Amino acid sequence: MESAPDIYSLASKGIKHAMRIDSNLKAIELYFSLNRDMNIEIEENSIKNNEFGFDNGFGVRVIDNRGALGFSFANKIGEKQLLKIIFIAMKMMRSGTPDPDFKAFPPTYTNYPNVKFLYDKSIKDLSLEESTNYIEDIITICDSDDTAISQSGAFSASIAKTYIFNSNGLEVHSKESLCSISSHMIAKDKTTNDTSFGFEYQLSRILADIDAIKVAKTALKKAKLNLNRKKIKKVKVPLILSPQGTNSLILKPLATAINAESYQYNRSFLVGLRGETIGSEHLNIEDNALYDKGVGSSSFDGEGVPCQNKKIISKGLLHKNGLLHNYYTAGKDGVESTGNAARSSYSSIPRIGISNFILKPGDQSRDDLFEDIKYGILLNYTGDRPNLTTGDFSGLILQGNIIENGEIKEPLNETMLTINLLDLYKKIEAVSKESRTYGSFQSPYVKVGNVQIVGSVN
Amino acid sequence: MGIIEELKVFDDNLISRLNKLSSEKIEYWDIRAGSTIGNNIDFTNQKSKEISSYEILNCGIRTFLNGGWGFYVLNNLDKASILEGFTEAIKLAIQSEKFCKNKFQIQERKPIIKNYKFNSKISLKDTEIEEKIKIIKEQEKNASNFSDQIKNTRTVYLDRHTNSLFFDSFGSFMHQEFEILRLFSSVYANENGITQNALNSVGGIGGIEILENDESRNISLKSAKQANELLKAKSPIGGKFTVIMDPKLTGTFVHEAFGHACEADHVLNKESILGNKIGKQVAIEEITIIDDPTVGQGKKFNLEYELYGSYYYDDEGILSQETKLIENGILKNFLHSLETSSRMNQAPNGHGRANSNVSKPQVRMGFTYLEPRDWALEEMIEDTKLGILCEDFQYGYTDPTTGNFQFKCRFSYKIENGEKKEILRDVSLSGMTLEVLNRISAIGNRNTFHYSDGVCGKGGQGIRVCDGGPYIRIENLTLGGLN
Repeated sequence: MESAPDIYSLASKGIKHAMRIDSNLKAIELYFSLNRDMNIEIEENSIKNNEFGFDNGFGVRVIDNRGALGFSFANKIGEKQLLKIIFIAMKMMRSGTPDPDFKAFPPTYTNYPNVKFLYDKSIKDLSLEESTNYIEDIITICDSDDTAISQSGAFSASIAKTYIFNSNGLEVHSKESLCSISSHMIAKDKTTNDTSFGFEYQLSRILADIDAIKVAKTALKKAKLNLNRKKIKKVKVPLILSPQGTNSLILKPLATAINAESYQYNRSFLVGLRGETIGSEHLNIEDNALYDKGVGSSSFDGEGVPCQNKKIISKGLLHKNGLLHNYYTAGKDGVESTGNAARSSYSSIPRIGISNFILKPGDQSRDDLFEDIKYGILLNYTGDRPNLTTGDFSGLILQGNIIENGEIKEPLNETMLTINLLDLYKKIEAVSKESRTYGSFQSPYVKVGNVQIVGSVN
Repeated sequence: MGIIEELKVFDDNLISRLNKLSSEKIEYWDIRAGSTIGNNIDFTNQKSKEISSYEILNCGIRTFLNGGWGFYVLNNLDKASILEGFTEAIKLAIQSEKFCKNKFQIQERKPIIKNYKFNSKISLKDTEIEEKIKIIKEQEKNASNFSDQIKNTRTVYLDRHTNSLFFDSFGSFMHQEFEILRLFSSVYANENGITQNALNSVGGIGGIEILENDESRNISLKSAKQANELLKAKSPIGGKFTVIMDPKLTGTFVHEAFGHACEADHVLNKESILGNKIGKQVAIEEITIIDDPTVGQGKKFNLEYELYGSYYYDDEGILSQETKLIENGILKNFLHSLETSSRMNQAPNGHGRANSNVSKPQVRMGFTYLEPRDWALEEMIEDTKLGILCEDFQYGYTDPTTGNFQFKCRFSYKIENGEKKEILRDVSLSGMTLEVLNRISAIGNRNTFHYSDGVCGKGGQGIRVCDGGPYIRIENLTLGGLN
């Protein structure tokens, strides 16, 4: 990897050069990222591939006095290349349309929040041999179970260094680590010959927090719960969303719907509902970038703006300032950026994304939620996504079960759920104390009042 | 051979050093390296949101020993970095081999030395950014002016010019140069508090000419018209129906529900419903399904360019070719990578594909389609008492272990007593692949055949593909609706 001082002097040279060559240039921003990845993969429950890689690059964003934006990126870091890419970015800028809403890039900030444990040195020093132990753990789970017939999965570990500079004097740097383990387990009932799968994963900043055995065991449990699936009739019954189901129907759709860009363009089903009640009192959501170890935590966002903890929905009420902003959308609305500029790589301009998106846990236990259900449906996983413009959801329950007298029974075959998300949010009757973290999402079990389930039995 | 400056480092001298480093340590290696330049342009409501230009140089080194693979990625293409990366990659394969249980050898093959160049009619590399923007502005204007209901328009243009090398330990050395373009038009219409969206795209291997035929010129008008029409659409009623699928949905069915089950890595991992079915009847006799990603099919569709999913050779140096998956109802072949063909003792058929030089090849489709038969669309509708005509898909997926698939259609029409009636929105279709292959009651003729472009996701990689077919009719499919 390139060393840090090179980047600082490169950046300062680049910015000075750019400001000199075009008097119409209003501001320039340089974004550098240096990434290192390691990945071990299993297929058919056996190690298949070891991978190691580097991806270093930079992106140049420029705006002129008309508010037109230009962007260019490359993956070869050096002075000659930087000056060339700056030149090209300015050429792109000159061909853009004016945008009076594009007023500036972020200023300098005196204070950034201190978020701890986003970097784990043991990931940097991790050897291939040590990493193999995590994979061996998940292989053992599959080997030692009669129903499990195969497994694919991966362990990966990465280190990312990010540097952001702009012509207002902003200068920030971070070093972050991330590791993950995943298990895709295939199970087969030897008597009925029915096959099914279960998927589970864990992402963590800290290597020691990775629990490979638990991940594989959960995947196996899910696969087994989904064996010998049954078709049902059309019914209207209570619904329980597992944490993964909560992600699909509550957290992920809301994360997009409160994105200020989709809101400003009227693409969100929540347009016009700020300051209104959109769900039951059990719906409490925040986007928190600040807690230690969080996969979605950071002290600054993709434009160098300080990150925050934001209340989005409280007791079902969508806050007036409950949108996620980057610097541009905030400027357009005349508010402060919420520090949600998201940049997946040096190759992308800042979009808007969540930090850690959290559905606050309730006070009942998971078992309490199930207990008084005589006949209902558990939704574990759907591959479908709602129509975010209308809020309509109509999708297959790819992994789900019948609940009978509070207990999880047969899995469902060819069964669909159809509902408008706003109806679903209003029908939330309880949220469990227990919560699961999937990457940047924290989700409990959620109980929903009677909903329409379309089975395939006439 | 017309190799560009950045890739000239891979000369005979370097290759012989790599062979020396690898001999007696590993059994096989291959290297992909390339240089790509491109533009991304994104307009919303007739304003530029992104105009970007890029230059990417990268290299992936893959090594193999007795069932274990190593892969090393770098973007510094100097001799010292490549040699260091290669040495590391050898260690990675040796470490994989230590733990891997599925031992096998890569089938020997004859080296291929080839140079492919696709000449765009109007080169993307030589077209100024202003020219590209002019085309996008025109698209945006057409959609915005379509009606008062159009509230939001978006046009995204992506292009690239690629030079790449493939070479391996068998002595193959291949070079290719081509351009790719794709344009999306998304339009939102709004009336009385209802918002609807339509999305269309066009793409291919070639240059600006891809945007110059009538269909491409009118792509944003098509989106605007559809979004407008969807404002009147009703939510469907859930239940079981006879369904007529348009070529887009037929293509989706062939790709998502059936094609993925033909990928031999799924078969080896025991998660394909077709695992033990080669040579067996899996569909009615009228069904023939083919994957043919060869370059040269553009003229079949009167195009001046090539299909978006086509390629000369896959990312393991195997030439693209036609593969019959189902012939007259009988399952004939799976799709293979070097690994799966070696392990299953089959000839490789050119389906080891990666989305870039820095990703490993996986078993992937190319252009998968259902062969047409003899029904006209009008006949199919007339012959249907109560059914739904489904058009254009939003997304789809399949549980590979069971074949339970689910597609979301963008718009659909009710059919009553042989007549096309009111429009419906957000219809979802669900069924079991092997049941549906045996429940097809009509297959459209050649006039109803069409293909579409897409990006298929698997193992974190998005790959350019095409799929297609004629209109087909399926009995007794489950439909999800809001009522």
